[in-house]
Amino acid sequence: MDIKREDILHLAELSEFTLSDAEIDDLGEDLKGIIKYISQLDELNTDQVEPTYQVFEMDNVWREDKILPQEAEREMLLELSKEDQDHQIKVPKVL
Amino acid sequence: MKYLPTIGIECHVQLCTKTKLFSEVDNDARGKEPNSCVSPIDYALPGMLPRLNGEAIRFAILAGRAMNCKINLHSRFDRKHYFYPDSPKGYQITQFYQPIIGAGYVELPSGTKIRIEHAHLEGDAGKLTHFDTYSLVDFNRVDTPLIEIVSMPDIHSAKDAHDYCKELWRLMCHAGVTYGDLYNGNMRFDVNISLAPEGSKELGTRAEVKNLNSFRSVERATSYEIKRQSKLLDQGKKVVQETRGWSDAEGKTTGQRSKEEAKDYRYMPEPDLPPINLSKEFVETESAKLPLMPSDYRSAFSDAVKPDTLEILLDYPQLMQKLGEIASPSHLGHTSLRSSVPRGFQGRSAKLMVLDGMASTISLISNLFTSVLLAEEKSAEYLNDLPSAKDLIELAEMNEKKELSSTATKEVFLKLFDPQMKGRGTKNIAKELGLIQENDLGALEKIVDVVLAKPETQKAQNDFKAGEEKVIGFLVGQVMKESHGKANPGAVQKILRDRLSK
Repeated sequence: MDIKREDILHLAELSEFTLSDAEIDDLGEDLKGIIKYISQLDELNTDQVEPTYQVFEMDNVWREDKILPQEAEREMLLELSKEDQDHQIKVPKVL
Repeated sequence: MKYLPTIGIECHVQLCTKTKLFSEVDNDARGKEPNSCVSPIDYALPGMLPRLNGEAIRFAILAGRAMNCKINLHSRFDRKHYFYPDSPKGYQITQFYQPIIGAGYVELPSGTKIRIEHAHLEGDAGKLTHFDTYSLVDFNRVDTPLIEIVSMPDIHSAKDAHDYCKELWRLMCHAGVTYGDLYNGNMRFDVNISLAPEGSKELGTRAEVKNLNSFRSVERATSYEIKRQSKLLDQGKKVVQETRGWSDAEGKTTGQRSKEEAKDYRYMPEPDLPPINLSKEFVETESAKLPLMPSDYRSAFSDAVKPDTLEILLDYPQLMQKLGEIASPSHLGHTSLRSSVPRGFQGRSAKLMVLDGMASTISLISNLFTSVLLAEEKSAEYLNDLPSAKDLIELAEMNEKKELSSTATKEVFLKLFDPQMKGRGTKNIAKELGLIQENDLGALEKIVDVVLAKPETQKAQNDFKAGEEKVIGFLVGQVMKESHGKANPGAVQKILRDRLSK
């Protein structure tokens, strides 16, 4: 599969990455290699195979609807952010 | 040129489970401080894993059944990726490929049926507050369970768009799965509108108006879009496919600068949540818990309650449940553990019927609900603690037997809600207030005779005998005064006429 420069730029935009020109070229090469490797799976005929959504054969893992006390307090969590104000996380203006 | 609007609506309903969809944290953040209902799971700290709330599955079944939807026995979750400060995970956990709720329909009061394409479970995002140079993020709402209901494009007018949203709200409130507080965003609507020349087989280009939070704004925004798009098409211009915002103050929609072309959510199966596989028995057991729905009340009460009154009362599930109890005691309602969410566990298994002789009681009580209770300032408070069906039935009986005048009936009715009075029984309250009308003919005749013997009534008596009809009112008034207002005026008038014609 061919990886174009636009593909890399599109992925970078989705991931909120800023890339230099050199990085774009390098990443393109890397991705080509990765996709080629994974593409080996295309050789298998999977027409009759159910897709695997998870590797553990579990289902219906539910919990009770009961409030449990939380060990991590608000201030501990807020401390993890770069900046906070009025018990809220402060971020550059988005809209 | 005439165009036919085609409208599809997506509705997000916040479920009133006790805890969030994926963590054991309080899901009711009303009146609580920002970021006080948040756990490391909601915060998406590295290594945190979601733990699915079983109650959300049960609520989804109820919501689905309320919309006559098929419940899918196999469903699972997917990740929808996007970067935005309201989503700490960097993706939303939703059901893209296999939703829990399948196809169904909602019937509007007008009888129009709007098909439901599907509905799915997902987590809500956090709340952003924007300031001039920065935004603040509150994660209290992160992963509040949501059901997103997707309609088919079956709606063709602004009024039907309004009615559909309102009926969805009623269905969800009657099912008891949401607090239904629109002001606080418990239900939000995205409306897709396109226009095509009448008779055309192809649909036009659609615009989407997002995040409407009232039925009125849905109706107004839809009307506005129909006008705006008609004008563009009449001028030979094209409608741009885009997301538009609605300004309630300006009464118009405006295009939002958006990176539509960058929209690429890269859905993938959520590896941290095993699939949901329901047994038929489980779905049947849970579906049976669905309380009576608006359609049940409409068919049972069509004779006893005027359509206008019924449509008002249907906005209040508590009042409808009470009327259901009065209509037939087999529908005794139960209040759920969650204080403000009534849920009748009797469910729809038994068809609601108005028992013989109860129609006039239902009619009287429903009128008292609309004209007296809902007019009260404290009605919201009263709704959560209604008088017993027994007290209300007794009130209707006393009114019917003319033991209570219509004014006295209203007065006693209100006292049934009074914390000081309630629980004492209707008859006792009426007695204490001295409101029971004197219907005992013997006793009334004595009072009439006392009044007729008074010198000040002689002139009126003579006038009446001389043919002056209207003085009867004065005489009835005198008797009422003598009885301290307890006499039944109709009976008094009858006795007076009888006496004076002799």
